[in-house]
Amino acid sequence: MSSTATATATAAPTASAIQRSQVDLVDFIDWSGVECLNQNSAHSIANALKQGYREDDGLNVESDADEQLLVYIPFLQVVKLHSLAVKGPEEEGPKTVKLYSNREHMGFSNVNDFPPSDTVEFSAENIQAGKPVVLKYVKFQNVRSVTIFIEDNQSGGDVTKVQKIAFFGTTVETTDMKGLKKIEDH
Amino acid sequence: MVLEATMICIDNSEWMRNGDYTPSRFQAQADAVNLICGAKTQSNPENTVGILTMAGKGVRVLTTPTTDLGKLLACMHGLEMGGEMNIASAIQIAQLALKHRQNKNQRQRIIVFAGSPIKYDKKMLESIGKKLKKSSVSLDIVDFGEEDEGKPEKLEALLTAVNNNDSSHIVHIPPGPNALSDVLISTPVFTGDGEGGSGFVAAGPVAVSDFDFGVDPNIDPELALALRVSMEEERARQEAAAKRAAEEGSSQNKGDEQSSKSQDTTMADTTGATAATDAAEPMSEVDALLQQAIALSMQTPASDSAVRDTDMSEANNEDQDLAAALQMSMQEGEKDSSGQMDMSEVLEDQAFVSSVLASLPGVDPNDPSVKDLLASLHGKSESADQKKDEEKAPKDDEK
Repeated sequence: MSSTATATATAAPTASAIQRSQVDLVDFIDWSGVECLNQNSAHSIANALKQGYREDDGLNVESDADEQLLVYIPFLQVVKLHSLAVKGPEEEGPKTVKLYSNREHMGFSNVNDFPPSDTVEFSAENIQAGKPVVLKYVKFQNVRSVTIFIEDNQSGGDVTKVQKIAFFGTTVETTDMKGLKKIEDH
Repeated sequence: MVLEATMICIDNSEWMRNGDYTPSRFQAQADAVNLICGAKTQSNPENTVGILTMAGKGVRVLTTPTTDLGKLLACMHGLEMGGEMNIASAIQIAQLALKHRQNKNQRQRIIVFAGSPIKYDKKMLESIGKKLKKSSVSLDIVDFGEEDEGKPEKLEALLTAVNNNDSSHIVHIPPGPNALSDVLISTPVFTGDGEGGSGFVAAGPVAVSDFDFGVDPNIDPELALALRVSMEEERARQEAAAKRAAEEGSSQNKGDEQSSKSQDTTMADTTGATAATDAAEPMSEVDALLQQAIALSMQTPASDSAVRDTDMSEANNEDQDLAAALQMSMQEGEKDSSGQMDMSEVLEDQAFVSSVLASLPGVDPNDPSVKDLLASLHGKSESADQKKDEEKAPKDDEK
């Protein structure tokens, strides 16, 4: 994956960054700290995040009391987020998704207290395809945890369903080690 | 033992002066609150409890969630009654207090004592409930005091809006002879979803023991495992014995005759059966010992005879010669015991005991101490003992 990057570690950072960042960060999620507010207990967040579960379109996370969902994902180490892939059904899939980096223990009452690090609006096609959407990379350089606030869904109904949530990016420490090795080779 | 932060909302409105609960509604409520504080802090040392009053000049937080029981009991003193209960803002302020708890790993719970009429409508309460559910806050409602029409329905609607997986509860307590706190102890408000609170409720009538054998596998896994294994072993043994009894039951011709005779002479039969089966193949010996062990545990002569009957019929099927010998020894035993019922009992005991002793893995029948023990037992009745000894001697030598 990242080992495909060659001696262009310093040159053309954006090009190599895009090449290197296609790492699925599911392996770096700290599962003990993952929380999801307003989820339906029968359809929990693991259905959308875990490898295997998220590939299955039949398994999805559903909202409970109303259409909003608040997902808190801590990572095992510091990461940089490059892109986000969200997949959902055409009607109940999420529309407006706000991301907050490094904010712990948010509740629905304080989502509006500070601006999100990034906001993504999904169209019906995007959400059905589930293709990765590039984020504001500069805002996600030093991410320990990310909070996903799903504000509404495509149809405006009472239940939001999400089949898959995946983050792509790089880990900070690992990249540095590889960079050091390359320099030594020279 | 759930890690929990709790906010208790107390009703200190004018309606609490009423004396339909002894000594007064307010006092009964205060007692219940003290008990809850104690139970929560005891079930998990890291639990925090906070208190706020709903009436008076306005909703007032007396203590934010704390582990200090003394502080909680102290702030219950000197509370004044007055005003009207404001349940909506009280619940919202309680939610806010819980949001700012220090340990974010604690679950959030609000306990509301609703003793006066509720002036809010159902829709408002339902929307409050939904907000609580979204933030995963559980709610316990104690409906007591003033019985307003529509109050139970409103509170039930609030509960259904909040309830997530039965983590929220409602209790209706009408005025009566029992104290409010006594009634509360047996409700899920105290016992907390069926777990916890059992240590505190030791004095109460409820024995919260959801685990088999009364041992909590979380507290003592080895003991629970040992109990479970021994239970399963015993069950398996009994099943095997029952199965064998069922098999033999179909071919019990001779066995029936002998069994009818042996009903009168239960004791002698046991020795005869023991000797016979021991002299037979090792498999039947093991089975016989198994039967003896089971019979010992049951400790009833009637069952002994039934077991012996099984033994004897089994021996019959396996060895016809053996059966003949068996009959002979039994008849001898009958003659013996007809005159000496007491003797035969003793005989049975010591012969039985000695045969069991001989079969024990760690006991050497030639060991002097064991021999002394046997001799002392034998010394009680030597005359009728000779035959049994002879039967046993070859058996012992085989060992």
